[in-house]
Amino acid sequence: MSPVREAIVLPLMLLTAALLASAQPGTPLAPLAFIPPSPYSLVLATLVVAALVRSGALDPARLMHGSRPILANANGAVVLASLLAAAAAVLSMITPESGLPRFFVALFLPVLLINTLVAGPDRVRLLRSLAVILGAGVVIKFVILAGLSEPATSATGRVLVALFDAATFGAIAQHPQPGSAGYLAVASAALFLAAAALLPPPRPPSTTALAMHRVEA
Amino acid sequence: MKEAIVRGSGLVASLAYGALVLWIYTNQPQTIAQVSGGLTSMVGVYAIDQPSFDDGLRFFRGDQFPEARAAFARADRAERDARTQFYIAYACYRQGWGRLYSDDTLFKDGLAAVDRAIALAPNGRLVVDDPNLQMHSADELRAELQRGVTVEASDFNPLRVFRKRK
Repeated sequence: MSPVREAIVLPLMLLTAALLASAQPGTPLAPLAFIPPSPYSLVLATLVVAALVRSGALDPARLMHGSRPILANANGAVVLASLLAAAAAVLSMITPESGLPRFFVALFLPVLLINTLVAGPDRVRLLRSLAVILGAGVVIKFVILAGLSEPATSATGRVLVALFDAATFGAIAQHPQPGSAGYLAVASAALFLAAAALLPPPRPPSTTALAMHRVEA
Repeated sequence: MKEAIVRGSGLVASLAYGALVLWIYTNQPQTIAQVSGGLTSMVGVYAIDQPSFDDGLRFFRGDQFPEARAAFARADRAERDARTQFYIAYACYRQGWGRLYSDDTLFKDGLAAVDRAIALAPNGRLVVDDPNLQMHSADELRAELQRGVTVEASDFNPLRVFRKRK
């Protein structure tokens, strides 16, 4: 991996993904709030990092190792910390704010991640799996739930929304969100996935090592 | 050598960016002016717009409080100057003060402004030496604003109508 990618590109992408994921426009308290990731999402983020390592999408030894210079190890540490922060922020972003949707997403997200972890997919399959998890989270929160929660423009719409809210005891509807929230979510998820694809995989075994392996066998 | 420069500059830039993200989480800026004002005040180069502040002071002394607040807000767009926030709070107090009752909305705005002033002042202590004011410290102003939004027994004292605005 080139020093430019490790020292500049990856931290920039991951920190930007974290910042975009935590930006929430149109909250009840302020026009724009930056919500830091919850401790629960940090736990989920460690599962994502573990899955990246096990699948071979990330080789931590290529970021931090005793044989590397101090400056290179510092760059690697920044990449790992940024990766953890970005993963936590993105997972926090796709978790609905309240009610039953929050409960179910908080329940199934770790199950999905643990399932991915134990299935042991290769790098490409893991990245596809992460894209599906994040994409589904974005669609559920910013398309389906946002559509159910946005203020209706017509009288019929208002009646239907009120009936839906009453039928579900208010457990489904979320705070209405402006359209920009969805765009920010898509941008941060895409940035995180692109950064995950740029992480250093393990080095392929050299031909000498392969030959020695064959001789020993 | 070139690699060390790239790695070193990347490390500094990443740490600075990370610190900015943490600062944004902590301070929750709402406008670009608040972001730039917060960052410049962190390195000690933030300055208010002095002509706007002077306009605000002139309006304030002429009892034109909405105009004064607008000018003070223009002078301190990032809300990072304790003295300007103090005057904004004082303008809210003087406009909202009444013999029979106070304007709760203005007093709450004043409380928010004086809280910002106290938070920005070194060690939370702010004293403004202005002979036109009757309350010189942010603590006095805060207590007066707090009394205005609190319902207490003395609010029903008929002698209240003889009190004077500070």
